[in-house]
Amino acid sequence: MAVQADKMVDARGSFCPGPLMELIKTVKTAPVGSVIEVLSNDQGSAKDIPQWVNKVGHELVYSEDMGDHWKIAVRKVK
Amino acid sequence: MNEQAPKMSVILISPELEKLHAGSLVASVAAAAGMTVSVFITMGALKGFRKDNVASKSFEYAEIGQALIDKKLPLFNDLLQDGKEVGDLQVYACALAMDVMDWKRVDMLDIIDDVIGITAFLNMSQGSQVIVM
Repeated sequence: MAVQADKMVDARGSFCPGPLMELIKTVKTAPVGSVIEVLSNDQGSAKDIPQWVNKVGHELVYSEDMGDHWKIAVRKVK
Repeated sequence: MNEQAPKMSVILISPELEKLHAGSLVASVAAAAGMTVSVFITMGALKGFRKDNVASKSFEYAEIGQALIDKKLPLFNDLLQDGKEVGDLQVYACALAMDVMDWKRVDMLDIIDDVIGITAFLNMSQGSQVIVM
C-alpha cells in the first residue's frame, strides 16, 4: 500500500465502540491531511468506522482484513 | 447516506445496566457522528448515576450486564464521558426523581451537567430523534 500512516491506534482488545472512539480522539488532535491507522478486532468496527468516516466527511484510505484483526486508515479532511 | 436529524434525545428510565449501557452507547456514538445529544436520566435509571453505586458497581443486571462487568468494559458513565469528549453531549438529571429521593448534585457523577425539569427537557429535545430506554 502506498499511503504511510502518520499515527497508529492499536485498539485490538477493545469492544465496540472503543476503536471508533479512540480513532475519533486521535483524529481530533491530528493536523488536517494526516492519515491515522486503527487496528481493531471487535465485530463492529470494520463496518462502523467507514460509516462514521463517510458521515463526518473524512476519507477512508484503506480497510484491510488482516485475518485476526482489521487495519483501517482515515485521512483527516477538515 | 441519508441525512439524519441533527439532534438526538436519549431518555434513560430503567435501572438495568444493559439499558443504561445501550442508551449511553447510542448517545455517545451519535455525538461522535456530529449530532447534538441530550441525555435525560429519570426514575430508576438515576440511581445508576450515584457516585457510591458506580464505585461499588451496585447495578441491576442479567447475563450480559454481568459480562460487561466481568470483562471490565468501559461502562455507561465512561461511554457518556467519551461522547462529551468527542462531540456535543449533555447529561441531565430529572429534578422530580432527585427531589423525591432527596439526592443532591454532590451525590451524583460529575458527568451530569444539570438538574432540570421536564419543561426544560422538552424545549431542548424539540425536533430531535428520541430514544427511550
